[in-house]
Amino acid sequence: MDISTFVQQMINGISLGSMYALIAIGYTLVYGVLRLINFAHGDIMMVGAFVAYLAQNAGIPFELAVILAIIAAMVTGILTDKIAYKPLRNAPKISLLITAIGISFFLENLFNVLFGGVPRAFSAPDYLTKIIHYDGIIVPVTVIIIPVVTLILLFIILWILNKTKYGMAIRSLAFDIPTVKLMGINADIIIMLVFAIGSALAAIGGIFYAVSYPSIDPLMGVIVGLKAFAAAVLGGIGSVAGAVIGGFILGFTEIVVVAFMPDLGGYKDAFAFIFLILVLLFKPTGIMGQDLDRSRF
Amino acid sequence: MKKITTIAASVALIASMSYAKEVKIGVVLPITGPLAAFGQTSNDGLKIAYAQNHTLKNGDTVKLIVLDDRGDKVEAATAVKRLINKNHVTAILGEVASSNSMAMAPVAEKAKTPMLTHASTNPRVTKGKKFVTRACFIDPFQGAIQANYAYDHGYKTAVIVTDAKQDYSVGVSKAFKKAYEKRGGKIVGRVIINSGDKDFNAQVSTIKAKHPGIVDFTGYYPEAALMVRQARAVGVKAPFIGGDGVGFPELIKIGGKAAEGFMYSDHFDEAAATSPVAKAYVKAFHAKYHKATDSMGALAADGYGMILAAMNKCKDPTDKICVNTNLRATKGYQGVTGVININKNGDAVKSGVVRVVKNGKFAYLTTVNP
Repeated sequence: MDISTFVQQMINGISLGSMYALIAIGYTLVYGVLRLINFAHGDIMMVGAFVAYLAQNAGIPFELAVILAIIAAMVTGILTDKIAYKPLRNAPKISLLITAIGISFFLENLFNVLFGGVPRAFSAPDYLTKIIHYDGIIVPVTVIIIPVVTLILLFIILWILNKTKYGMAIRSLAFDIPTVKLMGINADIIIMLVFAIGSALAAIGGIFYAVSYPSIDPLMGVIVGLKAFAAAVLGGIGSVAGAVIGGFILGFTEIVVVAFMPDLGGYKDAFAFIFLILVLLFKPTGIMGQDLDRSRF
Repeated sequence: MKKITTIAASVALIASMSYAKEVKIGVVLPITGPLAAFGQTSNDGLKIAYAQNHTLKNGDTVKLIVLDDRGDKVEAATAVKRLINKNHVTAILGEVASSNSMAMAPVAEKAKTPMLTHASTNPRVTKGKKFVTRACFIDPFQGAIQANYAYDHGYKTAVIVTDAKQDYSVGVSKAFKKAYEKRGGKIVGRVIINSGDKDFNAQVSTIKAKHPGIVDFTGYYPEAALMVRQARAVGVKAPFIGGDGVGFPELIKIGGKAAEGFMYSDHFDEAAATSPVAKAYVKAFHAKYHKATDSMGALAADGYGMILAAMNKCKDPTDKICVNTNLRATKGYQGVTGVININKNGDAVKSGVVRVVKNGKFAYLTTVNP
C-alpha cells in the first residue's frame, strides 16, 4: 500500500468515525440521565433525515429544512417520552427497554407505510458535497465539517451540563429522581429537555449521514443506530466524551479491516464487535466509563 | 331499503362464488425493506399480467395472495408456510433475491407445492429440488455475459466487488471470474461489501490503488448507487459493469452523474421486444404506469403466465403434483422476456441483454443468446 492510499484510508476512518461519534453522543446523553438505552434513537435520526428530505422537496431551502427537521425530531422525541416512556417511569428498566424497541419498530413501519421502502436520493447544497483534491488525496468537505460539528456539539452539551442550572438539574436527575423532585424541581420538564436535546442531536446526525451517503430509507437508522450504540458502550455509556472516542475507534477499526485485509472485508462488523467485546472484558465500563453507579457524563 | 338490497346483493354474490371454483396462487415479494424496488416492480408487472388473464381454460378464476417479506429470509420462509397451510395455495410465485428464495425452497419442497421464482438467478435455488422452478437464466450465464462483454470491449483487467451477504452476488462473482480468466482477462483485486452498508470509502480507495480496467459490481442497486458515487469522488475512472440486481431507477436517482456509463446484464429491454406477447405487455404497462418497463415486472408476468399455462394442462388445476410436472416440462413458452425452455434442473434457458445508463436513462446495448 503506497503512502497516498494509506493517508486516504486514514481520512476515510475520520469520516466514518466522526459520523458514529455524532450519533453516539445522543445515545449516551439519554442513557446518562434515565439509564434507558433508547433504541429508537436511530429511528429518530431517520425521522430527521426524512423531514429534511420532504421539506427540500416542498421547495424549502436546505438550511431552513435542517431547522424544520431538528424541530420535528425534537417533537417526535418529546412525544415518545410523553406517550411511551413517562407511564413507565417507575416500572422496571427492562419494560422501558422493550418499549424503546417497540417505538423503534413503530417509527420504522410507520415511515414504511407512509413513504415505502424504496431508497430515495437526498440532495444537499454544493458547499457540503464539495471535494477537496490535495496532492492525489481526496478529502470530501464533510470529513472536515462533521468532526468540527461533533466537537462543537460536544462542547455545547458539556457546557449545558456543567455550567447551567438546567444542566445541574439533569446531572442531579441522573443520581436520584425522587430526591430531585423533593427539591422542587419539575423532573418531567427536565427529562423532556433531555429527550429534546437527544433528538436534536439525532436529527443533526441523520442529516449529515444523509449528506454523506445520499440515500435515505425508513430502515436507515437500524444499522447505524446499532453501531452508534456500540460506540457509546465502547467509550463508556453515559460518558459524552467517551461516545466520541468510541465512535472514532469503531470507525477506524472498520476502515482498517477493509483496507488491510480486503478478503476479510465482509467481516468488518464482526471485527468491530470483537474489539468491543475485548474492551469490555478488560474494562467492563468502557474506555471512559467509571463505576457504573457513579459515572455521570 | 338500501340495507336490504345490499344484503341481498351480497347473498347473491356469495352464492355465485360457491359455484365458480377459485384457484389460488401465493406470491412472496420484498415490497418493503431494502430491496423494495425488486418487490414493487415485480408486483407492477404481475398486476398487468393478471389483468390480461386471470381465468383458466375450464372457467376457474385465479386469485393472487401477495405477501410482503420485507426482504428478510426468515419472513420469506414464514410467508410460504402461511400460504401453504393457511391459504391453501396451489402454487407459489417468488422471491426475487436468491437468498430469500433459498429460504423458501425447502418449505415448498417439503409441502410438495410448486414454487416458481421469476428472478432468483443463483444456481443453488433449484439445485436438487423437484418442486422449484425458475423463469430466469442463472448466474453462470449472467457472469459470462458480463465477462465476455467487458473483455470484448477492451477491458482486460478487473476488480470484482462481492456482497458477502447475498448468495446472488457470491454466485455472479464466481461466474465472472471463471469466464473472464478463461478469455484471458486478469482479476487484479477483489473487495467485499455487505448489503446495508453505506460507507464504501475504504473499498473504493483500494480499487483506485489497483488501477483496474473495469469494476465488476455483483451486488444490488442500493449499494451500487452509493459505491459508484463514492468511487467517482475518489477518482476511480474505470467503468462499472453489474448484473440484473442494479438495473433500477434508484441507481440513477441516487448515483446521479456518477451512474452514467454503468453497464449491466439483464433479462429484458423493451427495445429488444419483438414478439406480440411482449408488445402487448409493454403497451399495457405504459398505459397503466406511464413509465419505462423493467425486468422484474416482465419476469413476474412470465412466471405468472407459466404457472397458468401449467394449470391449464391439468384436469384439476389445483392438483399440485400435476401443475408441478407441467411447469418443469415447460418448453417453448413464449413470454414477455423471450422464449423460455426449462431444463432438467428446473432452470430457464433463454437469452439475456446488456444495458447501460445513458443520459440518465437505461439504454439497450445488445442481446446475448445462450
